Amino acid sequence: MTEFKLPELGENIDQGDLVRLMIAPGASITEGQPVMELETEKAIVEVPSSVSGTVKEIRVKEGEKVKVGQVIFTVENGAGGVARTASAAKQPVPALPSTPPVSSSAAAPESKPAPARTAVQTAATAPARRATDTGAQTEFKLPELGENISEGDLVRLMISPGARVAEGQPVMELETEKAVVEVPSSVSGVVKEVRVKQGEKVKVGQVIFTLEGAAAAPTERPQHVPVEHVSGQQGARLAFQAAIRAEGKTEEQALPPDAPAPAIPTFAMPAQLGKVAGTAHGEPIPAAPHVRRLARELGIDIHDVKGTGPGGRISKDDVKAYSKSLLASAAAAIQAPRGTQLAQPELPDFGKWGKIERVSMRGVRRKTAEHLWEAWSTIPHVTQNDKADITELEQLRARFAPKAQEAGGKMTVTAIALKVCASALKIFPQFNASIDMAKEEIVYKQYIHIGVAVDTDRGLLVPVIRDVDKKNIVELATELTQLSKKARDKKLIPAEMEGGTFTITNLGGIGGTGFSPIVNHPEVAILGLSRSSMEPVWLNGKFEPRLVLPLSLSYDHRLIDGADAARFLRWIAEAFEQPFLLSVQG
Amino acid sequence: MTDASNMHIAVIGGGPGGYAAAFLAADLGMKVTLIDRELNPGGVCLYRGCIPSKALLHVAKLIEEAHQAKNWGLEYADPKIDLARLRSWKEGVVKKLTGGLGQLSKQRKVEYIQGRASFDTSNVLRVSREGGTEESLSFDRVIIATGSRPAIIPALKLDSPRMMDSTSALDLPELPKTLLVIGGGYIGLELGTVYAALGSKVSVVEMLPGLLPGADRDLVLPLHKRIEKVFDSILLNTTVAAVKEESGGIRVSFDGPEVKERERVFDKVLVSVGRKPNSEIHGLEKTQVRVGQRGFIQVNKQLQTDDPAIYAIGDVVGEPMLAHKASHEGRTAVEAIAGHKVAFEPNAIPAVVFTDPEIAWCGLTEAQAQKENREIKVARFPWGASGRAMTLDRTEGMTKLLLHPQTERVLGVGIVGVGAGELIAEGVLAVEMGAVAQDIALSIHPHPTLSETIMESAEVFFGTSTHVYRPKRSA
Ligand SMILES: Cc1cc2nc3c(=O)[nH]c(=O)nc-3n(C[C@H](O)[C@H](O)[C@H](O)COP(=O)(O)OP(=O)(O)OC[C@H]3O[C@@H](n4cnc5c(N)ncnc54)[C@H](O)[C@@H]3O)c2cc1C
Repeated sequence: MTEFKLPELGENIDQGDLVRLMIAPGASITEGQPVMELETEKAIVEVPSSVSGTVKEIRVKEGEKVKVGQVIFTVENGAGGVARTASAAKQPVPALPSTPPVSSSAAAPESKPAPARTAVQTAATAPARRATDTGAQTEFKLPELGENISEGDLVRLMISPGARVAEGQPVMELETEKAVVEVPSSVSGVVKEVRVKQGEKVKVGQVIFTLEGAAAAPTERPQHVPVEHVSGQQGARLAFQAAIRAEGKTEEQALPPDAPAPAIPTFAMPAQLGKVAGTAHGEPIPAAPHVRRLARELGIDIHDVKGTGPGGRISKDDVKAYSKSLLASAAAAIQAPRGTQLAQPELPDFGKWGKIERVSMRGVRRKTAEHLWEAWSTIPHVTQNDKADITELEQLRARFAPKAQEAGGKMTVTAIALKVCASALKIFPQFNASIDMAKEEIVYKQYIHIGVAVDTDRGLLVPVIRDVDKKNIVELATELTQLSKKARDKKLIPAEMEGGTFTITNLGGIGGTGFSPIVNHPEVAILGLSRSSMEPVWLNGKFEPRLVLPLSLSYDHRLIDGADAARFLRWIAEAFEQPFLLSVQG
Repeated sequence: MTDASNMHIAVIGGGPGGYAAAFLAADLGMKVTLIDRELNPGGVCLYRGCIPSKALLHVAKLIEEAHQAKNWGLEYADPKIDLARLRSWKEGVVKKLTGGLGQLSKQRKVEYIQGRASFDTSNVLRVSREGGTEESLSFDRVIIATGSRPAIIPALKLDSPRMMDSTSALDLPELPKTLLVIGGGYIGLELGTVYAALGSKVSVVEMLPGLLPGADRDLVLPLHKRIEKVFDSILLNTTVAAVKEESGGIRVSFDGPEVKERERVFDKVLVSVGRKPNSEIHGLEKTQVRVGQRGFIQVNKQLQTDDPAIYAIGDVVGEPMLAHKASHEGRTAVEAIAGHKVAFEPNAIPAVVFTDPEIAWCGLTEAQAQKENREIKVARFPWGASGRAMTLDRTEGMTKLLLHPQTERVLGVGIVGVGAGELIAEGVLAVEMGAVAQDIALSIHPHPTLSETIMESAEVFFGTSTHVYRPKRSA
């Protein structure tokens, strides 16, 4: 009998809270093995044992305060404690009167009086062996199996030397006259020697195997010195074992696996026999082969499907339901792209009222839909309307048109609008900006790249003209002509549609007196041009026929106030009206 | 979907992988050419593998049972063995089966060419016919099913009729007085069992500490114990350092910590140290097919190689090298070629060792679970408690289920005992269908049969097995 007392933990620390116990009665421990975790004022420390043997009684509980010098547990068949502990904290090891051998199972809280469990640890043979072995030893003898049964045939041994056994874990199967019984161990520790063979007759009381406290294995860690808590592998393993014991888990969980299979040389073909191919996902999928195949046919990764059957089994219906939900959310994704989770109301069956045709919404249309939905749902839009008298501008335009034509361009109102807007953006930089809501910042751009919406047979495209402020109208007209052609010829590359800071959309070619364009997110404003027409304008006390261009400016009200928008648009209108405001030649 | 009926595919190799692929392709309407060196399809499995070995093992079993019959009050004289007759019976079985496959090829209008194929390009094959003519044939797709051959270790290479591999051992040229089997894998143990039953003193040497490396130890143990009685010796942890021919036999020197006799002389030596894939196909380097380090052709889950026109199946693409795996792969490859969305993704491939007792398992093994650190529950049923096993006087068997601890799903099944090979099919079905322990426990199994041990294993799991008493313990 040996006691283990809490050793000195360090300067000025005389107690700690017991956070975790890593041992249980019956467990075999080795010197140096961590037995508990203490929380002191300074740190959590793992306390190693200074004794070896089989734990008999534990005198503390988790959550309690433990003082230096207090007895933590007692050990039976202890070895090596006394002499070696001398190096550690003063630790007298008084011998306690030894208790009867059965008490270990009596002390175990979860023990049951099942006959097979009545125990075995006789101290009688242990001392004799102690002379030769440093490690503590325990023997496991065949317990009483029941009335009138004195022996059995050993059908199966479930342990081998070196294996770890825990109390309650089945260690062998015996065939008796009456039945095959599984015999659980009443001891814990590492199996040293197995004294019986399969197929032999075994008698009640016969030694089945001996245990060692693993004392033979030299422990590397410094003895008796509490170590700072490191949750090393050993700790984890011990904790796991302690947990199994503490929870009194079934043998299946506690059963140590077979002795590790040695590495397989490359030519040993049978090693792979029966190996399952393709277990990249770990557990095999709980779905019957035909269900897995259905999933493949539907293009579904079966691992994404949630099974509703027992043990998570996936049925055909589960796959179909998942497939439906995928289709539904794919459809929703088209309608409510990126970020917007707004569910679309279900559509009626249009076919009820007449013939319909469904056409897939791909390519430009789909992109446009996504983009505009996003713009519309993130930007609070306001549209400001104004009119510009372009009578004089129109004369200028006609005059400069041949020049542009020479350069390969067309002098259009849009080309002029580019120049006008570039100048306006310089004066009103908040229209040449973006909002970064995540960072709560406004991004002012030091460049002016203006996109122009082009109507093509595939849908709306917006090529971007770079550095508009640095180009003259003839250059802009030429470039615009080229880009529009490219757009219609499907030759635009994505880079030519990126980086815009402002957009112009001109529906004048078609007609209309005004509209509300949607801001081309992440830009903050867009200028819409409608068809210019001759209107009577009150000038110098009478109505005069003037050519008037309707302007519609939509803007992001988060960044731009209404008054600023009115001022910006007025500036543009005036620039159109008095082209002298601009230097026509750039 | 590709129009399969217009395709012309070539299958190189007529083993269980190749002929299964060729037949399915023909059934799907493709034009098929099957090329193999033998007179008829069959491959290793039928000519020099599964079938002849099982024929001989059946004979071995009968001899064993006749011996055992003494215990039941039935005494037979020692059998007289007519080796020539035995040989021709075995060859008859092979002929019938391979001839049958030849018939089936004709009925399906599969063009069967006896010859050797090599690659000119990805889809042009050079075929040298058995008669000597050579021709170039082009195909839409090619399936490589060239199988494997016995591996040779340089140290054991010795040109002598006393040295055998599995092929020559199955030829059964004569009965050696003493036979050394090098390699404790399934082929070595199966053939060793045959020779031991026929009267040879058989020894087996294995460099690893146990027979059948890779199989769960608890399954191997009963077999080990029986072989111990039937074989002359089992040398574990032992390697063969050298073999030398001398007038009286082959002198073998052993190496290892447990070796008692450094040298012994054997009449014959059977080398069964594994198999090597036949991936050294002429002209393969002209294609984009990639061969891995161990010689296996690399394929994806559709069995397609890196060359889109070429698929590969069977032993030549990897472990486990088993006939039923080859066939399943063959069918999957053809379906993929036909444009079906398929993949080779079984949850369980059964493995059977046809020794006495047999060992069989499928799905997860305990060894694998341990290696991958997976928590499982194991429920074992010892055959000592099986009435059927008792009536057969073979109670050393054991059946176990490997279960998922939370869902109680059957992840693997392991069986050792007579007839384990037949029993494992239920395990495969359970794993593939995602059965839980209760499904098995609640399915009525016929009495008295060994199949009950599967049901009772599930009952053991719930602690309610009728025939196993387990003292109650707290939960
Ligand atoms: C003794 C023994 C016992 C076995 N027992 C079993 C068992 O019980 N159960 C089991 O499942 N498996 C068993 N196997 C393994 C089984 O035989 C193989 O897994 C199976 O045959 C592989 O089939 P395969 O189609 O990949 O190729 P193979 O059966 O190896 O066939 C390949 C064919 O291709 C031919 N070939 C190769 N190259 C060319 C070329 N260039 N041109 C033309 N033809 C070519 C070969 O001649 C051969 O006929 C055993 C094997 C052996 C040796």
